[in-house]
Amino acid sequence: MYLKLSWRNLWRNRKRTLITVSAIAFAVLAAVFMQSINRGSHEMMIDNMVRFHTGYVQLQDYRYDEEASLDNAFPYLPETETRALQAHDRITGVIPRIETFMLAGNDHTTRGAFVLGIDPEREHDFNGLRDHLSGGRFFEPGEDKAVVTEGLARRLELAAGDTLLLIGQGRFGMSANALFEISGIMRHPLHEINEQTVYLPLHSIQYLLSADEHITHLLIALDRERDTRNVRQALQQEFQDDELIAYTWPEMMPELLQLLEFDLVGAYVMAGVLYIVIGFGFFGTVLTMTLERMREFGVLLSVGMKRSRLAGVLLMETLFISFIGVLSGLGLSWLVLYYFYLNPIELTGQTAETIIEMGWEPILPVSFAADQFYTQGIIVFCIAVVVFLFPLLKVMNLNILEAARK
Amino acid sequence: MENTIIQTFDLCKIYNPDAVPVHALREVNISVAEGEFTSIVGPSGSGKTTLLNMIGGLDKPTSGRVAIDGKNITGMKDSELIDFRLEHIGFVFQHYNLIPVFTALENVAFIMLLQKRTKKEMDERAKSLLEAVGLGERMDARPAKLSGGQQQRVAVARALASQPRFILADEPTANLDGDSAMNLLDIMEKMNREQNITFIFSTHDQRVIDRARRVITMVDGGIYSDE
Ligand SMILES: Nc1ncnc2c1ncn2[C@@H]1O[C@H](COP(=O)(O)OP(=O)(O)OP(=O)(O)O)[C@@H](O)[C@H]1O
Ligand SMILES: [Mg+2]
Repeated sequence: MYLKLSWRNLWRNRKRTLITVSAIAFAVLAAVFMQSINRGSHEMMIDNMVRFHTGYVQLQDYRYDEEASLDNAFPYLPETETRALQAHDRITGVIPRIETFMLAGNDHTTRGAFVLGIDPEREHDFNGLRDHLSGGRFFEPGEDKAVVTEGLARRLELAAGDTLLLIGQGRFGMSANALFEISGIMRHPLHEINEQTVYLPLHSIQYLLSADEHITHLLIALDRERDTRNVRQALQQEFQDDELIAYTWPEMMPELLQLLEFDLVGAYVMAGVLYIVIGFGFFGTVLTMTLERMREFGVLLSVGMKRSRLAGVLLMETLFISFIGVLSGLGLSWLVLYYFYLNPIELTGQTAETIIEMGWEPILPVSFAADQFYTQGIIVFCIAVVVFLFPLLKVMNLNILEAARK
Repeated sequence: MENTIIQTFDLCKIYNPDAVPVHALREVNISVAEGEFTSIVGPSGSGKTTLLNMIGGLDKPTSGRVAIDGKNITGMKDSELIDFRLEHIGFVFQHYNLIPVFTALENVAFIMLLQKRTKKEMDERAKSLLEAVGLGERMDARPAKLSGGQQQRVAVARALASQPRFILADEPTANLDGDSAMNLLDIMEKMNREQNITFIFSTHDQRVIDRARRVITMVDGGIYSDE
């Protein structure tokens, strides 16, 4: 019957309650949506960076971080690979790479280039590298050819079938010069890489750089992002006597993370402002709901209703409003997110061009992470509790006679 | 008098003691016995409401005290008083008696819910009380759908529902037209006669005064006559 009392009180002023409820629902929707888009794009960015750039976890020689030189490459033998794969059961694969800088040239000019020695099969499995080819074909394993990214190819006026000149230094100062036939041109999703990169088969570059059976990086693929730290731990353990060190992707890209966090703070501030506005509206409703019933409260206390009981009834009213608001807001958010999940928002104009330039799809991906749903619920619940302080104080300090006279 | 329920001892109430003091009650001594049908009359501002509020434990006297069934209620804490009122006193106010979102039946049952009665008892008693005040047909109507007289009859039914020692009614007929007022009085009188329920009510209405068996007249905060 107390519940009935609260519930019916809500609908005494139907319009006002509906307005409050829809304001809360709207705030929840807006907050979830903003966060979701934000997180969605962050997840996409991180995923791209991890797949093309660093891997979730990476093994390097412990000196490499200080001096990123081929001299600090480490031996990569079949046994190394087995040990890495067995270090943790969430590891789904390992991707060996050699990274170095060389001069890339045609018959009359040269440019600085980022040269990557890779195992094309494994790279493709990890990040679908071959799908980004824009001309020619990818070199087969065992083939002695090069793939050049679009930006570099454009600068050097090279195309598939042309010959690429590479000049540089191998391990321990050995000179390393060679000519490679270009088998294909690719458009790399990460802009910086697209401007300056040459891909070579791992064995070719090892030979060229006098670095047989050596690599500079071993990328680790996982089936779940959240195992990153554990896997790092396991690898650290396994390879500590080999003078190798394992890094997680956040350690390797602190700037990116900072940037994303900064971005998130912006979204939080916006959501915060939104909630403050909604909080005041909610407060206004509860305020009038309380003030216009002072006389009724006076009567209830007169006839013998305990103050705590009455406060309980009012608390239920406040909670009802917030629950209905949150639930409809979440329901709505779910529908909206689901819609945009199925039909991603296509970006247009300037932004879209920039994003296409970066090789990404010009869409705003949404994140479906569950926690953003209940976080909003908790926030609104906290607001409700704060808002409830007003009627609580009023009821606890209510002077029966004064209330009755108003 | 045997079976005294209410007794006041040198009851004084001074409003605004610091600024312009208003002596609302001056050493009022009255006692009310079980089964009385008493009205308190007097000009506006003579202290009727103040006296009823003191007896009902809604306000504290400046000096003196009120005893109900020999129990001194003047020294009770707010929370004790709330419980005391619930168990011992029935209230009928001039207006805004009822919970607007509850039906007549629920309004009457609610007071028994506060007393933690069983659901069955609540329902049966609420129904029989509403029938007794002539509202057997309107039990499911909300107060807004009832006339002023009907609302006051629901209030009387509610006041009776808690099985109090007595019922206090401050100008229960003030907002009613003549017929409704007489009708309400009929019901109160009948309850008094048949069930020995004690009523104390204040009023301005001469026809209501005529129905009382004891009339206490107040003037300027004191008892002028008691007959
Ligand atoms: N809260 C208060 N503060 C100050 N003075 C008050 C207060 N309540 C009542 N009074 C004064 O106390 C005196 C008695 O008031 P009370 O309400 O008891 O009179 P009453 O007999 O009920 O009058 P009425 O017939 O108009 O209802 C009046 O002079 C009134 O102005
Ligand atoms: Mg009065």
